[in-house]
Amino acid sequence: MRRFELVLPGSVDDCVKALAQAGPESKLLAGGTDLLPQLKNGLLKPARVIDLSGVPRLRAIEPGNGQGLRVGSAVTARTLELDRAVRAKYLSLAESGALVGSVQVRNLATLGGNLCNAAPSADMAPPLLALDAEAVVTGPKGERRVPIAAFFTGVRKTVLAPDELLVELVLPNPGARSGGSYLRHTPRRELDIAVVGVASQLTLANGVCTKARIALAAVAPIPLRATAAEQALEGQAVTPDRIKRAADLAVEAARPISDQRGSADFRRHLVRVLTRRTLTTALARASA
Amino acid sequence: MASVMKTTRDVKGIGLSILRPDGPDKVTGQVQYVADLNPRGLLHAKLLRSPYAHAKIVRIDVSRARALPGVRAVLTAADIPVLKKKAPTRAHAVLAIDRVVFAGQPVAAVAADELAIAEEALDLIDVQYDVLPVAADPLESMKPGAPPVAELGTEADTSEALAHGSVAGVTTEAKSSKAVNISQQARLQRGDVAKGFAESDVVIENTYRVPMVHQGYLEPHAVLAQWDTAGNLTLWASTQGSFNTRSEVADVLELPENRIKVIPMECGGGFGGKIRALCEPITAVLARATGRPVRYVMTRREELEAGMPAPQVIIKMKTGVKRDGTLMALEAEAILESGAFSGAVLAVAGVFLASLYRWPSFDVQGFEVLTHKPSIAAYRAPVAPQTIFAIDSQMEQIAKAIGVDPVEFRLRHLQREGDKMANNQPWLSNGAVEVLTRLAEHPLWKKRAEWKASSKDGKLRGTGLSLGGWLGGLQPTGATVRLNPDGTLQVLTGQVDIAGTNIALAQIAATAYGVDIDKVKITTGDTDVAPMTGLSAGSKTTYTVGVAVMQAAENARNQTLEIAAKELEASVHDLEIDNDKVVVRGVPDKGITLASIGKKGNLYMSKVEPVLGTSHPAFSVQAPAFCGQLARVEVDPDTGEVTLHNFVVAQDVGKAINPLQIEGQMQGGAVQSLGMALTEALIYDDQARLTNPSLLDYRKLTSADLPSIETIIVEKPAPHGPFGARGVGEPPIVPAPAAIANAIEDATGVRLTHLPLSPERIALAIAAAS
Ligand SMILES: Cc1cc2nc3c(=O)[nH]c(=O)nc-3n(C[C@H](O)[C@H](O)[C@H](O)COP(=O)(O)OP(=O)(O)OC[C@H]3O[C@@H](n4cnc5c(N)ncnc54)[C@H](O)[C@@H]3O)c2cc1C
Repeated sequence: MRRFELVLPGSVDDCVKALAQAGPESKLLAGGTDLLPQLKNGLLKPARVIDLSGVPRLRAIEPGNGQGLRVGSAVTARTLELDRAVRAKYLSLAESGALVGSVQVRNLATLGGNLCNAAPSADMAPPLLALDAEAVVTGPKGERRVPIAAFFTGVRKTVLAPDELLVELVLPNPGARSGGSYLRHTPRRELDIAVVGVASQLTLANGVCTKARIALAAVAPIPLRATAAEQALEGQAVTPDRIKRAADLAVEAARPISDQRGSADFRRHLVRVLTRRTLTTALARASA
Repeated sequence: MASVMKTTRDVKGIGLSILRPDGPDKVTGQVQYVADLNPRGLLHAKLLRSPYAHAKIVRIDVSRARALPGVRAVLTAADIPVLKKKAPTRAHAVLAIDRVVFAGQPVAAVAADELAIAEEALDLIDVQYDVLPVAADPLESMKPGAPPVAELGTEADTSEALAHGSVAGVTTEAKSSKAVNISQQARLQRGDVAKGFAESDVVIENTYRVPMVHQGYLEPHAVLAQWDTAGNLTLWASTQGSFNTRSEVADVLELPENRIKVIPMECGGGFGGKIRALCEPITAVLARATGRPVRYVMTRREELEAGMPAPQVIIKMKTGVKRDGTLMALEAEAILESGAFSGAVLAVAGVFLASLYRWPSFDVQGFEVLTHKPSIAAYRAPVAPQTIFAIDSQMEQIAKAIGVDPVEFRLRHLQREGDKMANNQPWLSNGAVEVLTRLAEHPLWKKRAEWKASSKDGKLRGTGLSLGGWLGGLQPTGATVRLNPDGTLQVLTGQVDIAGTNIALAQIAATAYGVDIDKVKITTGDTDVAPMTGLSAGSKTTYTVGVAVMQAAENARNQTLEIAAKELEASVHDLEIDNDKVVVRGVPDKGITLASIGKKGNLYMSKVEPVLGTSHPAFSVQAPAFCGQLARVEVDPDTGEVTLHNFVVAQDVGKAINPLQIEGQMQGGAVQSLGMALTEALIYDDQARLTNPSLLDYRKLTSADLPSIETIIVEKPAPHGPFGARGVGEPPIVPAPAAIANAIEDATGVRLTHLPLSPERIALAIAAAS
């Protein structure tokens, strides 16, 4: 690892100032579980590293408007896994947190790091897409809100400018009869990266699906929503046949590549299987 | 060599489950590994490695790196006159000369005050490469016209096979002028294969493929080198054989062996990957160039990209049998991909393929093929898991095809003691039959139909087993046993303990001498002081060094009794050792303590010789050891995920010197075997660059993937082993790939022949079949 200067801001404002001073040669550090391997392997050689661990606001989980939730960008995967408020209404997000790495990794890995690292396989992205989350971003020009669906722009690329930071995620209240699920496939049970991940969220009223969300990881440069599959469910009673049909449509939304983690064929196969399974679970949870 | 012990009481020695004395220090982080050494003036080394698998080096400019403050040396091949272009081994290819032959090959070396400075210096070295065509696939590389890997005229390296001492009577030849990358080939034939197939009712043909896999020792390669002003080199090394390291470094650097002292540090695993020298020569050269101690520790990424993994093995196998199960003919071709330097144990593969079962006719060919990948080394029972995967998968399919019980089928045809192996050597006493029988009696095997029928929730259940083994290595060795002035024993060998062998050796000394284990201390000495010994490899440490220790202890015992006889004015034959004293049988109050005998051996003006038991045996008789494994699995047919519900390891250990350590070996070996079966593969792109150089993507199994592993120790004494012991380290890595493939077929009906048996392969095969 190359030598670098370490900056330890104590507030979001200090952090913005540090970013403005440091210029493009700087990197933000949250849990470091993505950044440190990149530094060690020489993929990144920043002159300055700005450590976010001393900024309390980024670790907060607070009630949001309309009984929604605001989750700080430095909330760890382990906290998402265990937090009552998250589990109560956003179970798919808790499930994605619970799948990351190992307990040791989860104690470090943060939601913001997962999103800003912008790996196509990032586990916490699909649940946020399925939950219609918004990202709160701040920089020298002030705060702005970005729908999570517009946050990712490519492999390891986001809408963040080099002098901006992700502050928190705003999760709207999904409503009473709503349920979600996140599943991924990995060859190894723990300590592995998703070959495919699928999050589904279904909201019901009077036996009919009023809102369906299906989001896919690791099948395109950025996490995707399978909108045609969602539309095939909305306004309908969710039956096994319709779930099957939605799973087929989700496969069409996927644009996978073949790499060392899996072939494009297997990824398409998994989208079908995991969409079917997450929808089935989401339906059961929404109906419960 | 076997000797009957005449101990008069049960000493606390062999047969007891005793914790390793080094265990607590290891789990509490007290043990010093090479990476923990911090001598005054220490410099840190880094190597600049080629990003290309095959390229001409046009120019290297190190001037900017040399100018970086804190950098003490930057070397290229041009700075090391002893290097030769036709490097016969990886160790000799210290830095690339003119041409790189695998991605990750060292091109330049840096020593600097800090690791970070050394890394920065690498960025400042300018290398201009002319990229050349790459031989990335062994099947392509075998063809005439493939891009050449070795320099023309480089000799094949068969020393690995010799080191493992595993097969006699097979000559492998370096050959073929047209196919430049075939570095060795061998052929074993018996009977009329064509006739055998013509008379067969059932002919089954398959191609089995096992990718390159990495040994995965916890501690990466590491060495610290320092020279004194007289020109003596000391190496603190993580090695499986300090004398071998000394010989190789002496050979590469053209130094007399007695000018090099190798101090074997605590070795954090080797599994065959730390037999051959790798980074020792360059570190020594950097230390000489700087006049300072230099330490080099490989990163995990370097280990995966540029370590010495196991070869890829491709086996085409055709078998013919009669409908009644009579074996008729076997035809096989084994291709071992060795990477950029020769060194595969080709003969072992050939012998294994045709020797396990009684094929009346066979024709087995083997080819070692070079490619532009890191060169390979041994990995725990080298090529046995790969060949057994083919053999045992094939036996299972034959049994299925003719509708006979798969265990009975194997037992019927298994070669027994005295049967001729493919190299015409007789099979030696072994427990193959006993091991397989024990597994077949296991309730999990007996209830396999119930398990299959209990499948639920869309998952499929199955059971599979497999039998494999290892012929066992041999190498001369030596040991001394001294009696201390306080009556305790001091055992000295040069043998590196990579597997808990030192406690077993101490137990052997205790029993052979006749004192309790707590009176025995064992030390692994460095190459200046210890008796010369071989590698900790080939499952032979307990088998061979155990004999040396046993004989040295007996020798010390005899010396002790002779001294006591004189002192007590009694006949040696009337004496016995009763833990801390020598007594005259039947006269309990007539005796002399071991302490006083020990003291007399170290007393000013004393005429009593100090007790120094020695032994330095060489060996000619191997002890084959077999292991059987049984897996009960559940397969998710949609995702291909395999859940291991139970796993059983049965193994013939001859005599369990320390059952606890043996169970550890059986479980550890099984886990590595299961990793090969299920998840592990070094995956290269078409330019022979590794695509998964981290432990996140190179998937060793974790505890979350594994059930608790049941062990069954079988004891069929090895006639020449110490107290009947056989080697135990290697056999348990052998059977799992076939056991799992057999279990998956039992569950799903799908037969897979390529490792790893990944979810992708399983799910897509099931989807294609339905
Ligand atoms: C062993 C291991 C296992 C893993 N397993 C998984 C897994 O199962 N699933 C998965 O999705 N990932 C996994 N990862 C990747 C990683 O752990 C996650 O992506 C994690 O959430 C990253 O969070 P972090 O806090 O460690 O990020 P860091 O490494 O600190 O940062 C990651 C990137 O985000 C930037 N960043 C961080 N915070 C902010 C912010 N507030 N604003 C702007 N930019 C920011 C950093 O500059 C950096 O570029 C694994 C990693 C390891 C080492």
